[in-house]
Amino acid sequence: MKKVLFIDYNRCIGCETCQSICEFIHRDKPFIKIFQTSTGLSIPITCHHCENAPCLNICPTKAIYKDEDDAVIINTEKCIGCYMCLAVCPFGIPSFDIRIGAMNKCDMCADRRKRSLAPACSEMCPCVAIFFGEPQALEQTIKAKIAEELA
Amino acid sequence: MRFAFLCRDKPEPSNRKIAIIGAGPAGLSATGYLVCHGHEVHIFDKLPEPGGLMLFGIPEFRIPISRVREGFAELRDIFGVKFHGRTKIVFGNKPDEGDSFVDEFIEFDKLIKDFDAVLIATGTWKSIMPKIEGGDLKGVLPALSLLFKIKCARLGYISWDNITPLKEKTVVIIGAGHTAVDVAIECMSLGASKIYMCYRRTILEAPAGYHEINFLKNRGVIWYELSMPTRIIGENGNVKAIELQQCKLSKPDKNGRRYPIPIENQFVTIDTNYIIYAIGQKLTPPFQQDIDVKLDDWGRIIVDDLHMTSREGIFAAGDIVIGPSKVGRAIQDGLYAAEGINYWLMGEQS
Repeated sequence: MKKVLFIDYNRCIGCETCQSICEFIHRDKPFIKIFQTSTGLSIPITCHHCENAPCLNICPTKAIYKDEDDAVIINTEKCIGCYMCLAVCPFGIPSFDIRIGAMNKCDMCADRRKRSLAPACSEMCPCVAIFFGEPQALEQTIKAKIAEELA
Repeated sequence: MRFAFLCRDKPEPSNRKIAIIGAGPAGLSATGYLVCHGHEVHIFDKLPEPGGLMLFGIPEFRIPISRVREGFAELRDIFGVKFHGRTKIVFGNKPDEGDSFVDEFIEFDKLIKDFDAVLIATGTWKSIMPKIEGGDLKGVLPALSLLFKIKCARLGYISWDNITPLKEKTVVIIGAGHTAVDVAIECMSLGASKIYMCYRRTILEAPAGYHEINFLKNRGVIWYELSMPTRIIGENGNVKAIELQQCKLSKPDKNGRRYPIPIENQFVTIDTNYIIYAIGQKLTPPFQQDIDVKLDDWGRIIVDDLHMTSREGIFAAGDIVIGPSKVGRAIQDGLYAAEGINYWLMGEQS
């Protein structure tokens, strides 16, 4: 069943909890990162696990695939490190991991999902800026939240 | 917030007991890690509820109160974490003044006897206050203690009568970081009629960023950049006005940083009821006397690779180790400390 990891930039306060947790789990290489823009905004940048993923389409060795939750995953064994995925990614996500000699990126916490845990960033975000779930349920949650705030 | 994000259910007990002093981001994330490794955790905090600055400092419009409460409720209900609120750990020293919420005092030595490990995560609560003429007048306030009181009232722990009355008042905020912005927004919502914000550099250097300052300006905050307080003018012991020295920026130094240089004889005076200082937090080590926990020159607790202090079995994490920092950094530090505690207690089997 398709799952979505959605970030509501309006709710983000730039506290870097997502990045810190991701860094803790992945030992010094966070897959979600907060960038301070020149106007002083904090923007979390991470993989959107696109429905029609340009990285997946362009990969010459077909190293990128979608798993059972529709998370876009790089098979690091097949990856030749050609950077084509990064070249076409609208968010500049894939990153060359020197330790494994291949491109790597957010896998929507694949290990955690196997244990029925949500991605760590979404579980720990203090501001409820990171949503995870099946598309309809997730959109419902967001709309309900906004209704609550408008009331 | 799922502080116990590493697991879903309570694992087999390890029969180890850990005491955590301070229920802020570092203390709570450490708790989450430790309960996922089967340890029994007791958290001690002088406030009536867990959350630390996430609950008692940062305004509701940034971090929802419910989010922090849900997070602790899981620790308590699923993992059996015991929260000892309104409890202050004392280090042989006399209680501080102003611990208004504290009902119980526990000796640090007793904690060491009763627990297998102790984690100090007490944070940085003291605002830096200026040493200028008039700095001790009534109406000169530290930003964090104002935000703290407002949050206490919102949470229902104190009555709104205890909050500095801001309705129809003029406020001058010194500083341009996130705390300064939060104070400005709270002053707005509590009905201050005029809000000034003074910063010694320009909007481009403001730590809170151009966007946030611009947002405030659009909401009517009067932005005074390149100005530094020189003295506070009083009347009958109360604040009456503030004098600001006008500055210009130096050429960038080798790190690209530009410093404010006073322009001779250029001063501005603003009439005001309150002056709120939001220029940063100071470290507040929880002990006044030597308890064999070594500090560095800045007053931060020194820890080793396992986050253990110079005293065996006593660990430290969060702002008290890394200095005033973001919520995320404190959370991460708490996790690393918890990892260290687990390794120290369980060795290779961890």
